[in-house]
Amino acid sequence: MVKFRIRRYNGKKSYWQTFEVPAKRGMTVLEALYYIKENYDSSLAFRASCRMGICGSCAMKINDRPRLACETQVLTLGNTVKVEPLDNFKVIKDLITEFDEFFEKHKAVKPYLIRKNDNYAEPKELLQTPKELNEYYLFTLCIKCGACYSVCPAAATLDEYLGPAAMTAAYRFCADSRDEGQRERYQIASSPSGVWRCHLAMECSEVCPKNVEPAKAVQLLRRKTAFSILKSLLGW
Amino acid sequence: MSVSGWFRFKGRSLFSWAFTFQRLTGVVLLIYLLAHLTYLSTLLDKTGLTYESMIAITVSRQFLVFDLLLVLCGVFHGVNGFRIILHEFGIAYENRKPLLAIFTIITVVVWLYASYIMYSLTGG
Repeated sequence: MVKFRIRRYNGKKSYWQTFEVPAKRGMTVLEALYYIKENYDSSLAFRASCRMGICGSCAMKINDRPRLACETQVLTLGNTVKVEPLDNFKVIKDLITEFDEFFEKHKAVKPYLIRKNDNYAEPKELLQTPKELNEYYLFTLCIKCGACYSVCPAAATLDEYLGPAAMTAAYRFCADSRDEGQRERYQIASSPSGVWRCHLAMECSEVCPKNVEPAKAVQLLRRKTAFSILKSLLGW
Repeated sequence: MSVSGWFRFKGRSLFSWAFTFQRLTGVVLLIYLLAHLTYLSTLLDKTGLTYESMIAITVSRQFLVFDLLLVLCGVFHGVNGFRIILHEFGIAYENRKPLLAIFTIITVVVWLYASYIMYSLTGG
């Protein structure tokens, strides 16, 4: 039996509740949460979808560290497992946090290819070498689970801060050889809530379940943004 | 949200500790600098006796521990700051873990050497 201490929230107050789960080899934290929901308390609320580490819905704080519940084995966590909602997000109920603002920030950096003269009536293939692909491939692996944002001290102190995930998406498109919208994104990234707010705690890279290295993306975006500002100052 | 976000350590890596100490030492150094400049700029005694008496207190053996802590703050802030600047330019990001260890060792070695010198100067 493994003891699950879950921080719950009912809209008014936050409290801890403990459940005992018969853990077996291969059981994930997400399965344990389903066990609790089905056998002890059906009101337990949590988000989950793909159950295979792709959708990023089940990110939560497990034993003080943000992880994907579907990819965390219960037996690797000891006899007591502490489960909490992610930090730096508003809690809606139990383990469910408000992600609207997080996705708004993601949308704000224009996370799509911007082309100046694309003719949709006559679409053409945009060729790319493997080297060009490798420039940004790592950053395409982000599943927007919010783990990086939840540990970011800059996000903890400034609500408007874009956060590591959004800036990783910005860099991912700025580094894409097919993209022509770098200037627009550099302007967004150089805003007071953009790249200059990152103080490089690097915790985002440490907790990313996909090893995306968001801190590296933010620093590369910062460098590109700085050069872009310099170029515009010199009139190039 | 508030600056309490700087002080979350549970489940965090050494990078979070380095970040928090960088902030704390920065605040300590800022307070020290302000106190130092305020004291020097408000000295009315033109004979230099007030200044000399203050210096006599600060170089005493009893005061040494505060001096050593201040030097530790300065050395850590400088050395760790240099590491952060390197990474901010996108340099050696993949080697961030060994770099953190190396810079921590440099901080300790420099601080111990400075402590030895300061201890010797106070007659130790």
